[in-house]
Amino acid sequence: MDRRKFLKTTAIIAGAGLMVRKPGIASETSPTVTLIKNGSPQELAAKAFEMLGGVSRFIAKGDYVMVKPNMSWDRRPEYAATTNPELVSAVVTLCLNAGAKKVLIVDNTCNDARRSYKNCQIQEMAGKAGADVRFVRDTHYVDTEIPDGTSIKRWPIHAEVFKVDKLINIPILKHHSLSGLTIGFKNMMGLVGGNRGRIHRPFAESIVDLNRVIIPDLTIVDAIRVLRRNGPSGGNLNDVDTLNTIIAGTDRVLVDAWSARVFGTEPESLEYLKLANAANMGEIDTNKFPAKHFSFST
Amino acid sequence: MKKIRKTAIRRTAQIGFLGLFVLTVLQASYPFQPWIPPELFLWADPLTAIVTQLAGRFFDPVFLIALLVLLSPFIFGRAFCGWVCPLGTSIDISDKYLAKKKSKSTQKFRSVKTVLLIIFLLFAVFGVQLSWLMDPIPILWRTFGVLGMSFFFLFTNTILNGLYDANIFPDRVLDIQDNISAWLFPVSTPKFLMLLLPFVIFIVILAMGKISRRFWCRNLCPLGALLGLLSKFSPFQRVVDKAACTSCSVCQKKCKMDAIEDDYIRTEKSECILCLDCREDCPTDAISYQFKSPVLMKTAPDLSRRSFIGAGILALFGSGLFSLNVLNPRKTDRRLRPPGSLHEDDFVERCIRCEECVRICATSGGCLQMAFLETGLEGLMTPVSKYRIGYCEFNCNLCGQICPTKAIQPLDLEKKQETKIGTAFFLTDRCIPYRLNENCIVCEEHCPLPEKAIKLNEKEYTDLETGETRMIAYPYVDTNLCIGCGICENKCPLEGEAGIIITREGEERF
Repeated sequence: MDRRKFLKTTAIIAGAGLMVRKPGIASETSPTVTLIKNGSPQELAAKAFEMLGGVSRFIAKGDYVMVKPNMSWDRRPEYAATTNPELVSAVVTLCLNAGAKKVLIVDNTCNDARRSYKNCQIQEMAGKAGADVRFVRDTHYVDTEIPDGTSIKRWPIHAEVFKVDKLINIPILKHHSLSGLTIGFKNMMGLVGGNRGRIHRPFAESIVDLNRVIIPDLTIVDAIRVLRRNGPSGGNLNDVDTLNTIIAGTDRVLVDAWSARVFGTEPESLEYLKLANAANMGEIDTNKFPAKHFSFST
Repeated sequence: MKKIRKTAIRRTAQIGFLGLFVLTVLQASYPFQPWIPPELFLWADPLTAIVTQLAGRFFDPVFLIALLVLLSPFIFGRAFCGWVCPLGTSIDISDKYLAKKKSKSTQKFRSVKTVLLIIFLLFAVFGVQLSWLMDPIPILWRTFGVLGMSFFFLFTNTILNGLYDANIFPDRVLDIQDNISAWLFPVSTPKFLMLLLPFVIFIVILAMGKISRRFWCRNLCPLGALLGLLSKFSPFQRVVDKAACTSCSVCQKKCKMDAIEDDYIRTEKSECILCLDCREDCPTDAISYQFKSPVLMKTAPDLSRRSFIGAGILALFGSGLFSLNVLNPRKTDRRLRPPGSLHEDDFVERCIRCEECVRICATSGGCLQMAFLETGLEGLMTPVSKYRIGYCEFNCNLCGQICPTKAIQPLDLEKKQETKIGTAFFLTDRCIPYRLNENCIVCEEHCPLPEKAIKLNEKEYTDLETGETRMIAYPYVDTNLCIGCGICENKCPLEGEAGIIITREGEERF
């Protein structure tokens, strides 16, 4: 078993060179972040794509797409511990309508996978929209080198990350007592295996390291409902605020920074964002890079 | 047209009941939507019913189902053993390949099962549940439910993961695996301690076929003994036409149970399981099965007074051993029972070690394990929570829903979510923030309570060597809120023992 895994790993590394997920879309001269409010999840998702240059900018015919929502907890959507299932299925529909060949949804959950997939309603709703919602098994991870890693140098990462044409990250915006907030960067932890608790120390460095090799083409942050306290698992409806907002863009640092603003947190107070900015992964200054706002009603 | 053979009907019934049994086992899984109660065979088992209610001093009307089986010998003798019992069927199947064509006579061991039955009943009178060790239905339940599940995983995952790795129809492989996960088994391989004991017991039972066919049923099965005792009055029985019988001895050689006497006419009714093989094979068709006024046989190898007294003395001292708590480390052990468990004494008396709860937990949080001696001699094979292996899933109350004897009370989800299994304590000489002054909070993150029972105390820490100062979140437990679900202990990133453990402190029992 070990020998086979070893052979497989070496074969993949030798074949693909160093594995880093490269974005599949053209980079932009100045990063754009959109902040859209007060629509249905379907309207919000469609508007986000439209304002960022249309779905066709992100999805080409025949693309193999991975959508990464947060399905980590055995909670119903209204507890805001997991991504809004309507938003996820709206994105799936948009991708498929734009000609995507396949949309894969996976998450390494914290609670039992079957309970979490079911209770967060993403399995059912995104599945109906046409996505392949799959459980993750230990054998699906591939030991991946992180060449520039400062805290972690290699880690088991879901093998499909390196096979898909496009990766769309759809985290939910919520409170987290270690990072302050959990947004896009932390959501990538659902694509890794191993002893994930280890990633918490030192947390900011490690989370940035993972994001050095897992690079999304687009991040859409679900702030339709946000979890204010007792995150990331939640469980108390009194901790949930309805903001009816999504924040989307290709600059994942800036998207997290703007999401922090929406939550009411200074982006500079998020250690991992400062590190990511310093590592040239994106912009952190929300004053220098304003968001395009849109509201469906006033 | 060919006549349907009666033994074919019997075999069909056997396979049907075995299939039904497997179905009841398979249903003990999340999502729990049974259309046949998974407990059915256990409720219908009169030995389980009598011993459990006697030892636990309670009455539960569901066990009235067992009356059907218990009264059946008064008409059909041990037909249950020959037609229904799924362990008997399993033995028949393995005997087909294991047993020699001509089995040795094992009549001298016959009374062993009756002695065992009496021992178990006497233990029950003294309040000790011991029949689980040899009661065929619980034996088969844990064999199929827990062992079977593990082997299923081992084999299917080896094949399917191999196909997936080799990129052979990977999408179809995932379809199969995800469908298995949706209806039957969890996503990740269940981890069980103590698989060896059920494995050895089952293998030994089957392997005894090497000595004779149905060796277990002839000589050891206490349920068979119970039904056998009541079969003596059975009016439906084997009848031999003396005029037609040529004393060819085919029937005696064929008899799985060695129930036919040397005159080939008389039958030991407490042994005959009405399998009809002799009728089928009789070259002169001298054998029939019919209702006839019951004749008590003198030749029955009844229990001698001496062995009865022996069994009584053994049960007295044996059950005394249990109540003396010779091996029961009440104070020192870290035994954690599933939420809704009865008080320890009642719990061990009622638990029949069918391992239904252990199995269904493995399809959810996966904390329940079969105990070895850590909960005392009397707790052998009872369910205990081992939080480094799994944790109690907050939204799950299935162990109590499925327990056939209500040793684990069925709690509403809301009630279960506030039932204290134990209380978490930090081991500050292991916990990362306390020991290494680094941030961690994995436990706090996972705490499922609406108001987290793990709270953080942020304090400044100055590194003595570098003089550097940083904020560290030191976690602590609000013992009033903690329900001891153990997800903190389970997810603690330390290798080996966790930095936070659940102890029995404050446990709620029913």
